[in-house]
Amino acid sequence: MIRFLLRRTAGWLLMIVAVTNLTYFLAWGYLDPRANYVGRRPPLSEQEIVNLLEPRNLSDTVPLVTRWWNWISGIVLRWDWGVSPVGQSVNEQVAYRMWVSAELMLGATILLTLLGVGLGVYTASRQYKTADRVWQGISIVTMNIPVVVAALGIVLLAIALNNAVGERIFFVTGASSPGVEGLFPVLVDKLQHLVLPTLSLVLIGYATYHFLQRSLLLDNIKTDYVRMARAKGLTKQQAIRRHALRTSLIPVATQVAFSIPGIFTGAILTERIFAWEGMGKYFLDTITLNDIHGVVAIAAFSAVLTAIGAVLADIAVVILDPRVRVS
Amino acid sequence: MSIADHLIDPLEHGDNPPPSEPELRAGRKRMSKWELYSRRFARNRPALAGLAIFALLVVFAVLGPLFQKYDHIELDFLALSDPPNADHWFGTNNAGNDLYAMVVVGLQRSLMIAVVVSTGSTIISAVVGAAAAYFGGWIEKVSLFVIHFLMLTPTFLLLSMISNDSGGDWRVIALVLIFVSWFFAARTIWTLSLSLREREYIHAARYMGVPGITIVLRHMLPNIGSLLVINFTLGVVNAVVAETGLSFIGFGVKLPDVSLGSLIGIGASTVSSAPWLFYFPAAVLTLLTVSMALVADGLRDALDPTSAAGGRA
Repeated sequence: MIRFLLRRTAGWLLMIVAVTNLTYFLAWGYLDPRANYVGRRPPLSEQEIVNLLEPRNLSDTVPLVTRWWNWISGIVLRWDWGVSPVGQSVNEQVAYRMWVSAELMLGATILLTLLGVGLGVYTASRQYKTADRVWQGISIVTMNIPVVVAALGIVLLAIALNNAVGERIFFVTGASSPGVEGLFPVLVDKLQHLVLPTLSLVLIGYATYHFLQRSLLLDNIKTDYVRMARAKGLTKQQAIRRHALRTSLIPVATQVAFSIPGIFTGAILTERIFAWEGMGKYFLDTITLNDIHGVVAIAAFSAVLTAIGAVLADIAVVILDPRVRVS
Repeated sequence: MSIADHLIDPLEHGDNPPPSEPELRAGRKRMSKWELYSRRFARNRPALAGLAIFALLVVFAVLGPLFQKYDHIELDFLALSDPPNADHWFGTNNAGNDLYAMVVVGLQRSLMIAVVVSTGSTIISAVVGAAAAYFGGWIEKVSLFVIHFLMLTPTFLLLSMISNDSGGDWRVIALVLIFVSWFFAARTIWTLSLSLREREYIHAARYMGVPGITIVLRHMLPNIGSLLVINFTLGVVNAVVAETGLSFIGFGVKLPDVSLGSLIGIGASTVSSAPWLFYFPAAVLTLLTVSMALVADGLRDALDPTSAAGGRA
């Protein structure tokens, strides 16, 4: 088991290194830090721009190989992922923003998983009855509402509600209000900011688990061992809960394990609409500001998290499924 | 027709001769494949509704320009940020653009990109996935390596950088979208084709000396045709969502060209002062994605070869 995981991890690490380096060269192909200084008033001379960019290892007057060497040796020797064109440390940005994203995504991920799996179990044990059909219809619609439409629609509803009550119950932008102190007020303030983005993430996200859990459970309800359980006298509910549900949860659990690292990469569109300064927003900023080191760091970060998700999924299968034997 | 077909074993059926062809047909009318599919599809009400909505949207995109009073880049300085009225059916934005004309053009653009992307990625994924499974060996190794590598690459980042750099040319966006969306489907098709490879008719074709690439195209792909049709429909939904998301954040289609995503992006900034700028493109976009998803769902049931209904509708 340990050896299998080590071998898989080594493979992933090689791919991550390759992806990161590839992104570095691609980013230099498409982004130009010099463009940030074009059109400044008063205009900067060529030499001034070079003087600004060269200490940050972002000047295109230095050969690409040298820039790459400086960058990679900084990472390997000092774990320094470089600086943005304005001199902010990429390490600090990622270290701060991943927790902002996690704050937003953790609650939403837990809620949408529970809701989706719960609905899947509920509807599967009532296949083709009214409740099943109604939820099927609702889920297929919500799953396919584009993120921007869902998020902005929720913003509009919240504004209407705020106006109707005459007080700000929900905040539509930001992660917290400045100047709030004390444990309880801070908690309430957090909730006021969290409700809307969480709602929009759950609304569009839960249906995947609903459909997955429903179809898996239906497959298992038809198996011989569930019929056997019914034959020995268990009620349908007992047979489903004790025999069918257990096996059907295995693939769902691997899916969940795969999605856990995603809470740190954030959600680009949701963070943009609700103005959360998380990783998703950072992604947009780095591209618009030609922040090559930031772009590459995000690529490496999300590649690492994808790989961790894949390894977690492998572990989940081995732990949960007694039929899987890894040699 | 060989002579063996005309020989009847007198003992086989006793006194009752075997039913002739026309008799069989009269007894249980055999449905053609297409009749069967369309009946099964029509039985699914939501899918039918989805198809109707999608058809209406296409008609709107094609015939919409005939009814418009203004061009989508034409500025009406006497009507700035007007709510919907008789002159500007969907209202105008703060520069005086007619929203009706912009929604029609945006829908055309989004539909065009979606169909191109979905066609392209379905074809690539089908050929790569099936070829990898059939040929095996180094072709399979290389294809799988490329697929796994692409799964790890931050494709949305690539997409944003390249389409932002292209200045919002929709053809570039479509090409890059194809490049980043074929590989997940290719992996599914590869898994399915692995079992297909061992079927008798594939062996038969190979022993008859049919070249490998012909076997892949003529014998393997038609047998996963239903999956490809469903992939195509879902691909349209995914492409629309990806394109509109990209245009919304400003990295996709750019002014003066518009897509539904960029229109929503404009509407988002004035969502409380001029909400109609958000309502109309958002409604069209939601109808588009939801209707295609309903169609895909209906197709999945209609084309299901393991359907409990067997050969009947």
